[in-house]
Amino acid sequence: MASQNPSQSTSQSSGPATGDQRLDKDTRETLVSVARHGLLLAWSFVVLFPLYWLASMSLKPPGQANALPPDWLFLPTVYNYIRLAQDGAFLAAFANSVVMVSASVVLVLLIGVPAAYVLSRYAIPMERDVLVWILSSRMLPPIAVVIPFFVIFRSLNLFDTRIGMVFMYVSINLSLVVWVMKAFFDGIPETLEEAARVDGATRFQGFRKVVLPAAKPGIFSVAIISFIFAWIELLFGLVLTNFEAVPVTLFVYSFIGSRSIEWGMLAAASMAMILPVVVFLIAVNKYLAAGLSFGVVIKE
Amino acid sequence: MASITLDDVTKEFGDGGDAVVAVDDVSLDIEDGEFVVFVGPSGSGKSTLMRMVAGLETQTDGDVYIGDEIVNQLGPRARDIAMVFQNYALYPNMTVEENMSFGLKMSTDLSADEIEATVTETAEMMGIESLLDNTPGELSGGQQQRVALGRAIVRDPNVFLMDEPLSNLDAKLRTTMRTEINRLQSDLGVTTLYVTHDQTEAMTMGDRLVVLNYGELQQVGTPLECFYRPANRFVAGFIGSPSMNFFEGQVTDGTLVADGFEYALTERMQGNVGDRTAVTLGARPEDYTLSEAPTDNGFEVVVDVVEPMGSVSYVYVRSVAASHDETFVVEIDGQQPISEGERLYAHAPATDVHLFDTQTGETIHQRELTDDAEHALSQPLENASAGAD
Repeated sequence: MASQNPSQSTSQSSGPATGDQRLDKDTRETLVSVARHGLLLAWSFVVLFPLYWLASMSLKPPGQANALPPDWLFLPTVYNYIRLAQDGAFLAAFANSVVMVSASVVLVLLIGVPAAYVLSRYAIPMERDVLVWILSSRMLPPIAVVIPFFVIFRSLNLFDTRIGMVFMYVSINLSLVVWVMKAFFDGIPETLEEAARVDGATRFQGFRKVVLPAAKPGIFSVAIISFIFAWIELLFGLVLTNFEAVPVTLFVYSFIGSRSIEWGMLAAASMAMILPVVVFLIAVNKYLAAGLSFGVVIKE
Repeated sequence: MASITLDDVTKEFGDGGDAVVAVDDVSLDIEDGEFVVFVGPSGSGKSTLMRMVAGLETQTDGDVYIGDEIVNQLGPRARDIAMVFQNYALYPNMTVEENMSFGLKMSTDLSADEIEATVTETAEMMGIESLLDNTPGELSGGQQQRVALGRAIVRDPNVFLMDEPLSNLDAKLRTTMRTEINRLQSDLGVTTLYVTHDQTEAMTMGDRLVVLNYGELQQVGTPLECFYRPANRFVAGFIGSPSMNFFEGQVTDGTLVADGFEYALTERMQGNVGDRTAVTLGARPEDYTLSEAPTDNGFEVVVDVVEPMGSVSYVYVRSVAASHDETFVVEIDGQQPISEGERLYAHAPATDVHLFDTQTGETIHQRELTDDAEHALSQPLENASAGAD
């Protein structure tokens, strides 16, 4: 291969040659490519192995789930899943979460997106302060506010209600929606609405027919992030629910008993929990990539 | 179709003590079907003025009329206008066809079939019928520009407003579109306001120019009026490329003494100057000649830089006698041989020179013109840029 490369053959004799020190260009590219793929493989292993572990644990028969050293080869069984599907409490908690989290995402978008639009487009007195105030709801660690929430929920009769949990989730995600969507709207040129208004649209029509469609990627991004944050919420569910409005996270947590842990059921319930997020992600996937590059939707 | 009248229109941004006056007491009559160009440097208030006609800004003071109607209280949607924006502002999630039909859907009762027919007709006129199913992101800059124009035309509005519509195009396309907009405007006969900072666009496109600076009206006139009869030093310097040369001096005993040369004023000039002493002489690059022999009112200069443009050359020269080393521009025939460092005599004939009051900037003496030229100045040129490309 070297004989085809004139620079290599001539540099062999000369003094300060650098050519022969270096590898052939193709070889270098191959090496870089191998290294890159190697790193990516290693990283995917780090990310995916726990998932594999969880999945395999959920498919092992009782007693084998937590065996050490692990049984790498085992006969998969859906025993845990069948037990889970027959468990009314699990189904109720799962349904609770689907309903409460979905409702909270709809509500947080209905409140947060128009709020972000107004903060982006109109001259609001003390706009900066309003924005920081909205963010301040997330500045305290949740554990610090959970007791006041408990007291408030009790006195408003929201304790252990689905509607209470919806409000709870909204309060968790609202600041995220407002901040991200404000940045997103800031990136959409104002001339779009002006063009719409000149074209005969009202301000609201301009927002609904022109700005909202342009902001779709951002809206889907905050929707999925809000969904995930609410879906995996445990602390508030633990304190603010008892029986009626128990979210699925709390149910999963209940497999960790004071004396023993039901590993198989825990794993199966966790797997079931992942499912709605994955389904939602696949559904909005095409909007997500654009949405994560916040604000740069429009080429000029 | 409609005329536009601005009556003592003022726009201030901010409030109280920090208010910035963007447009200062502007009054203007624009006739039905006229093509008027608002021109000025950035920050001159030209866009703000147009946005007040559009209803996108509300004036702090004064009245805006479209036709005979005061539109102060009307929003943009009620003014029957169409606007082309600098960034085109095409709706990114709609196809070209949807972009063009949006305004008709919003502002008329036309049926879907009628809208489609109107859009198709306009698209054919603009040569964009093959793009109707594309979204703006799939179009080139020039195509987006056409769609933006088409979207304005399809509405058949009373007034077109164009806010620097060509500034995002490359030079060649800009020249083509300039001609095209001119042609469209004269075909459609719709009253058009056009904002630009580019004096070439202003000269070639407008029936009349409205020259603005710091929110104040400087001059309203035909392009040639603004060129040959500038109202003040600002207009003289802004219109024309390269800019007019200015020399500040003192008038004593009928002679203007500037740094680097003296200029004997004619009787008519002296009459116009009156008892002013601080006077600025202005002469356009093309009115100077460079010669090897001394002439009346000529002065010795040394050639600093030569920019050959082909048919003409721009020569940057500096007065030998001047205490500074600032240069001024002289335009000479492209075939005249000239080299850097050469010493020559620069001369601007008394007929071509303007004089300005140094303090106020006001024009106090204007160059002479033939009677025919004088008459032609006040006439708007039909199809001003028909040979621009």
